[in-house]
Amino acid sequence: MSERSRHALIWAWTLAVLVFIYLPALCILLASLTASRYFLFPIQKWGLDWWRKTFASIEIHQLFETSISIALCVTVVAVVIAFFGALAFARYNWKGRTLFQKIVLLPIFFPQSVLGLALLLWFNAIGLQMSWMTAVFAHLVWIIPVVTLVISIQVYSFDPALEEAAFDLGASRLQVFREVTLPVLLPGIVSGSLFAFLLSWGNFPLSLFTTGADTTIPEYLYAKMVAGYTPGVPVLGTVSTFGAAIILLGGYWLITLRRRAQT
Amino acid sequence: MGPSLSPTGGEGIYDKDCMSKRPPILQLKSLTKSFGTFNAVDGIDLDIAEGEFFTIVGPSGSGKTTLIRMLAGMEQASGGDIILSGARINDLPANKRPTCMVFQSLALFPHRTVGENIEFSLKIKGIDPAQRKTRAFALLDQLRLPRDHYGKSVQRCSGGERQRVALARALAFDPQILFFDEPLSAIDYKLRKTLEKELKDIHRETGKTFVYITHSLEEAMVMSDRIGVMRSGKLVQVGTPNEIYSAPKDKFVSEFMGDVNVIPVSMNGSRKLIAESFDKEFAVAAVPDSFSAGHLVIRPEFIRFVDKAKDADNVLEGKLYNEYALGSRIQYQVRVGENVFIVEKLRQQSSTLRRDQTVLIGWDAKDGILVTG
Amino acid sequence: MAALHETGRGLSQGARNALPLLLFLLIGFAAPLIAVVAYSFMPARSFGLIHPPTLENYAEVFTGNSYISFTWSLLFAAITVFILALICYPIAYGLARVFGRWSPILTLLFTIPLFVSENVRLYGWILFFIKNGVLLGTLKSWFGIEPESWLFTRGIVLLGMVYVYLPFMLFPMTLGVSMVPNETREAARDLGATRWQVFREVDLPLSMPGIMIGLLLTFVLAVGAIAEAKVLGGQTIIPITHDIEIAFTYAQNWPLGAALAVLLMLVVGTLVILVLKRFDLDAILGRR
Repeated sequence: MSERSRHALIWAWTLAVLVFIYLPALCILLASLTASRYFLFPIQKWGLDWWRKTFASIEIHQLFETSISIALCVTVVAVVIAFFGALAFARYNWKGRTLFQKIVLLPIFFPQSVLGLALLLWFNAIGLQMSWMTAVFAHLVWIIPVVTLVISIQVYSFDPALEEAAFDLGASRLQVFREVTLPVLLPGIVSGSLFAFLLSWGNFPLSLFTTGADTTIPEYLYAKMVAGYTPGVPVLGTVSTFGAAIILLGGYWLITLRRRAQT
Repeated sequence: MGPSLSPTGGEGIYDKDCMSKRPPILQLKSLTKSFGTFNAVDGIDLDIAEGEFFTIVGPSGSGKTTLIRMLAGMEQASGGDIILSGARINDLPANKRPTCMVFQSLALFPHRTVGENIEFSLKIKGIDPAQRKTRAFALLDQLRLPRDHYGKSVQRCSGGERQRVALARALAFDPQILFFDEPLSAIDYKLRKTLEKELKDIHRETGKTFVYITHSLEEAMVMSDRIGVMRSGKLVQVGTPNEIYSAPKDKFVSEFMGDVNVIPVSMNGSRKLIAESFDKEFAVAAVPDSFSAGHLVIRPEFIRFVDKAKDADNVLEGKLYNEYALGSRIQYQVRVGENVFIVEKLRQQSSTLRRDQTVLIGWDAKDGILVTG
Repeated sequence: MAALHETGRGLSQGARNALPLLLFLLIGFAAPLIAVVAYSFMPARSFGLIHPPTLENYAEVFTGNSYISFTWSLLFAAITVFILALICYPIAYGLARVFGRWSPILTLLFTIPLFVSENVRLYGWILFFIKNGVLLGTLKSWFGIEPESWLFTRGIVLLGMVYVYLPFMLFPMTLGVSMVPNETREAARDLGATRWQVFREVDLPLSMPGIMIGLLLTFVLAVGAIAEAKVLGGQTIIPITHDIEIAFTYAQNWPLGAALAVLLMLVVGTLVILVLKRFDLDAILGRR
């Protein structure tokens, strides 16, 4: 087989898999555009009624609030802790570093539902009431290591001589951090924040067990999927998918724009 | 002593007498840096004069990088003293020392413009923007950078421009000493040669003390007032480029610069210099009384092809075995028994010789250098 | 990589930076897991950790039929990993070698689903496969055929798992493939190797770290899958995670749930330690 036909095959395969990946999203989009109560395909009655109804619903607003609050808290805490963790991971040579690297990976290589259940147990054991705040904590257990990895990738290409040069030129340690370390690592921090927010926003297994009475959007959708279908479900599903896509594409565009401005 | 291969600068520019009268700006006393039981820097004593261009030369692992990082304040000394203008600065951190280092990777801040890089130390000191800009422009002029580069991102600068920006940044706050950590080692030959000369000019213009490290003796010879050869943490020899070249103290130093001919010799019972491998006595200019065994070093440019055994103080017979064209010089390899001698001639003086031709090579007594080790 | 002006007193700069993360993981990861282990030794249906330890829960696991769920979970995870390895390698190869300037966009497209909740994504498949859904509805109205829905079968659960865990196989594999220096492959060709031999002798071994991480990550996460079986499979498959969840919620038998979780963790933990021990993370993640 020639190289060209091999490459064509690889392209075809990849695009086929991509279609496979986005097919459900398409179905959800279509399902949200029906005006009828049930989902019948091909759609007879098109309409945006359910979109209007969903956005007006107070219950939905509450869900958004919960999901966003959790995601924002997770982002802030995760980025701070992960930033220093990434410095320990990739920048400084210290005695426990290889062990530290493996420890950081453990929560990632772990079945999330089991982690959720373990945290449920733990919270109950210490007498904590479940709420959106315990969910924040649960998300962080998984998300901080991920963000640490993301920022570490940026830290790996950081030239330590930059800090030494700034120090040599008279800057105090704090000034070195503010003038050199932070700005140069900023792209990694931004990527990490994006990851933290989106991973928290879409998380289901951890939220399921640790939100208590509060409900996030994924939890709500799950409950509705299992019982009590309304086309409001696909509306939320579509918003979720496209929201994630827009944020990611926006973030990617921002980073490439910045890089292009510098070169 | 003035063959055409002697380094530029020679002895005339460096004024030995003047040096000994001025107090040194930097003094190292028994300076040591150890990692566990290993001494990367092993008891260095050195005085560097104000305004001098001093280069420390050594192979990788000799400790030169550790040494300069200690002087700049990036590493803590394990023992000994670093004295700057009479004051002991061992415990002074790098950001408080009136010195500045130019790094091997240059360490230019990639997220800042040329101007911001240069002004960095001034901004830290709290100097107002207008004054900073004036100083930055003055430095751009001095380093032959166009003024419109002030707002240019450093990532778009060429290799040569980046070197100059790094130097300008280091000069901005007027440090007493500038340290250089092999900044030219990763550049191609032509650009390096240009920058070497420019660095020398800047040194002369600013009158500052430059302490430079490199692994290339050739580079050191071009720029330095004095050179220190370092090996395994110790300073083996310190002297002017000429002294290092023509009067190396031991085999290591003499082999540092390219190809040399090194013959093991010893003094026999009747105080004659004998080379066992040739079973011959060699004539030299003077033998120190303390010398018993060591090596005879003859630089390739001092050996010539002769017609008769009387034409030189020391003559050997051999076969021509290889010829290399090295730019302006031609290098010949001559087999004498089991040994290979290297002979160099300038291109315009070369003769036509054939491979395996029997030749006579010779050198004069005054051109052989006796070294220990 | 020295830190600025290290005085050598107290904690090194690296250790100090690691401290917040380590402390957090101690209370957020280590402590819950220890709690689970502790609970597994408590008497069945009890609460709190005040009782004397017992092994009755483990006995229950091995004598009861939880082992069926266990086996199903492991089996499905393994099959998922196998299928995904085959699906993703060509794509990973493409991303690293074939797609050129399209790689970043394609990577982005593959990344987006990662941030959408998995149950939302699975829901799309329900809409696709359900009676009068996208697939069956189209078939009915265009061709007049009305086959049975594929939902609530074992196959569809597998489809769901393959679907959800695809990115976790794809990205480490892509990393692995990109680690193979092109020159090494060219050298092998130059020395006379056929394309298959180059693949076997150069591509596969050198991208193995990435492939192994992909296999491991996918397996570990797939073993903990809970949504796919529930949403797509109904009652056809009961994975072990479901058993654990039931034990914790409806059955109110925390110790039993804990014991099941401990067994799962043992399987996962052993695999993780075995694989991760051999890898130099710095080299994989790009340290120079």
